[in-house]
Amino acid sequence: MTKLGPLALTICSSAFVKLGRAQAAACGYPDLPIAVVPHPFSSRSRADVRALAAQCAADIAQLVANSEAGEKSGVRAAIATRAALFEVDDDLNAINAFIMQKRWGDGLPVIPPTPERVEAMLCGSARCADEVIARVAPGFGAATVERIAINAVMAGCEPAHLPLLIAATSAVCECPFNLQGVQTTTDPVAVWLIVNGPVAQQLNMNSGANCLGQGNWANATLGRALRLILQNIGVALPGEMDRATQGQPGKISFCCAENEAENPWQPLHVERGFQREQSTVTVVGAEGTMNMHSYGKNADDILRVFADTMMHGPSNEYVHGGEPWIVLSPEHAEILHDAGYSKADVQAKLWERSKMQAGRMTPEDMGRAQASRTAAYGPIDADTWLTIAHTPHDIAIIVAGGPGAHTVYIPCFGNTRSVTKSID
Amino acid sequence: MSATTRIFDPTAPAGDLPQLARRTLDGLIGKTIGFIDNAKPNFNFLVEDLAAEFVKNHGVKALVTRRKRGASIPADDAMIREIAARCDIVITGSGD
Repeated sequence: MTKLGPLALTICSSAFVKLGRAQAAACGYPDLPIAVVPHPFSSRSRADVRALAAQCAADIAQLVANSEAGEKSGVRAAIATRAALFEVDDDLNAINAFIMQKRWGDGLPVIPPTPERVEAMLCGSARCADEVIARVAPGFGAATVERIAINAVMAGCEPAHLPLLIAATSAVCECPFNLQGVQTTTDPVAVWLIVNGPVAQQLNMNSGANCLGQGNWANATLGRALRLILQNIGVALPGEMDRATQGQPGKISFCCAENEAENPWQPLHVERGFQREQSTVTVVGAEGTMNMHSYGKNADDILRVFADTMMHGPSNEYVHGGEPWIVLSPEHAEILHDAGYSKADVQAKLWERSKMQAGRMTPEDMGRAQASRTAAYGPIDADTWLTIAHTPHDIAIIVAGGPGAHTVYIPCFGNTRSVTKSID
Repeated sequence: MSATTRIFDPTAPAGDLPQLARRTLDGLIGKTIGFIDNAKPNFNFLVEDLAAEFVKNHGVKALVTRRKRGASIPADDAMIREIAARCDIVITGSGD
């Protein structure tokens, strides 16, 4: 905004001032004027808001008057593309204590990113170490291949994992993913990696039993490495620019492969235009996992209870029109397929049956839906039937997991769309 | 003396994007103020009350109010262009 002429100014609720200042600095405007209102602000009464407005207006007038002193002449900072080195005691406990003190870790011990280990990791890709893959929001740090490799070492990855992490880093920085929102929101959104194609087998990834749980080196370390990249290169530290109210365990690691062998339809990457023999990674801005345990034998019964589960009042997907994810167990996929349903049929039925009246939301959340979806819907009131996604095709379906009558619903953050990238 | 080793810093510097000049003003009198409402509950009321305050007590000439589709997404380009072209000051919101 400032680049285009007017003086920009932000009003932050007090709990978000740190984010506001850090974000402004990251965008090159460290002296952005910020007026502060008490937190929480959104739950205050109308009278409270009115009472705060006079002081806020006076504060803004003062900030504008003081803005004369803050004029900058267009400084350009050098872009640091090579990582710095630190000398530390050669002791695993001491190194981990140093890393925790620096807030470079995720709370678990890490593998020390020594020059030798990082050099070995870089052998996993033909790219130059100083190549910038993307700028990672909200700090917009430069994700060089070297920095991705450093974080991969810390997470316990092997060199063969590096190309996948480079693709995933590039994917989260694509506009539709809305990484700025994903990284700074109060929502418990994690980044879920879904791997398709031959690379899943090459890396011995788990697409079967407990594929979203513990026990597989590649699944665990790839998800962990991406989180470290998001935190360290994106400068999204918990409680600072990462404003998650609770977060969720998937923010430590959230990664699986699709069970293509037991998918009766096209796998995700083929559905998205890639060849079956190509390897891809898909990034999803995912909230938690909601188990849907059903011994139902009838396809329509199963879809009915799935749709019932997806439907809930305080859902970002109904506020904005989301991208809900369904991780079908092979057993449920087989029942649906044997009933003659294509993936598109399943999407259409879930979309239709999960329509929810806006009145199930609180009035405040219905107000958010009105702001977000009126252009698409026209006027929205309590009787309006909202869809969970803009189109049936926006309901994403993969098959993953092992034996058992469990399918998982994974709501998305709302204002995010998954991105699939080829792993080169 | 204990042995030492070297480890890489896994972080990237924030704020190394070009720092651009920002406009400065001597006050609000006679100015046009734009608001980008972030669509969070109560921000529309704050905008409404601030607008009244600015006109009544601070000599603001005109107001332009636009609403984003949601707090977690950027304002669209057309909205930014319009408000940038028409306003001396633009006020946004962040937080809960």
